[in-house]
Amino acid sequence: MFEEPVRRRGMASLTPLIDVVFLLLIFFMLTTSFMQTQSLSVVTPAPSADELPTDARVVEIWLMGDGTLRLDGKPVERTALTASLREAIGERKDMTVTILAEKGSRTQALVAAVEAARQSGAKAVGTARVEKIKP
Amino acid sequence: MIEFDQDPPRRQFETLIPLINVVFLLLIFFLLAGTMSPPDPVAVSLPQGELNDRERDLPATLVMEADGFVWLGDRVMDAKISGHMVEKYLKEQGTKRVAIKADQDAPAEALLLLMEGLREAGVEQVTILTERGR
Repeated sequence: MFEEPVRRRGMASLTPLIDVVFLLLIFFMLTTSFMQTQSLSVVTPAPSADELPTDARVVEIWLMGDGTLRLDGKPVERTALTASLREAIGERKDMTVTILAEKGSRTQALVAAVEAARQSGAKAVGTARVEKIKP
Repeated sequence: MIEFDQDPPRRQFETLIPLINVVFLLLIFFLLAGTMSPPDPVAVSLPQGELNDRERDLPATLVMEADGFVWLGDRVMDAKISGHMVEKYLKEQGTKRVAIKADQDAPAEALLLLMEGLREAGVEQVTILTERGR
């Protein structure tokens, strides 16, 4: 169908174009990042744990130094944290969740605790670091 | 025996065309799908999370390594004193919002320490970047 030799002459100039396109392709392959990041707004922590409220309207999440979590002193799995927190808060609307991070706890646990606190419907979330949690 | 066309070498170009098509498609894919971001000074594995507040255009990003050191641009500092170091930078940028890229194994204590410093430096909003959990 397209057998005219005159047409084919023009094809020769494609080679530099292909070179450039390949270079561009490699450039974009190396420079792009596909990591999907999310953002989580957090409240800045209290200067010390003593300044956080400690009355009956407070649920405490403890981030222990060995990586475990405790909810008001009772050990809880990270996957079950949100559900347990909802249970602890119940229908009340004036509850505060306090997250205490012991020395040795990790950022991943803190993020999990902050998310659980946000999802549980607590009125406020407070964070603080402590040297050692005394049950 | 076998009859060649009049000019066989030029035939090769025709076989290149599907290749070029694919390469163009890949190029367009990477152009559209990728986001270009300046590289971080250190590689961190972000903590996994579920919530997304969709904060956009965070002007200042701090990177916290797994050992608790904080990077601002190519400067590295201790979490304890980073508030003061960041204060000047934020004043130059004219912003009160900060994003923190913390490694998932970074000490929570250091992260809280850093956030305390940021609050003292006048930061109004701190955002922690997470990765979608699997």
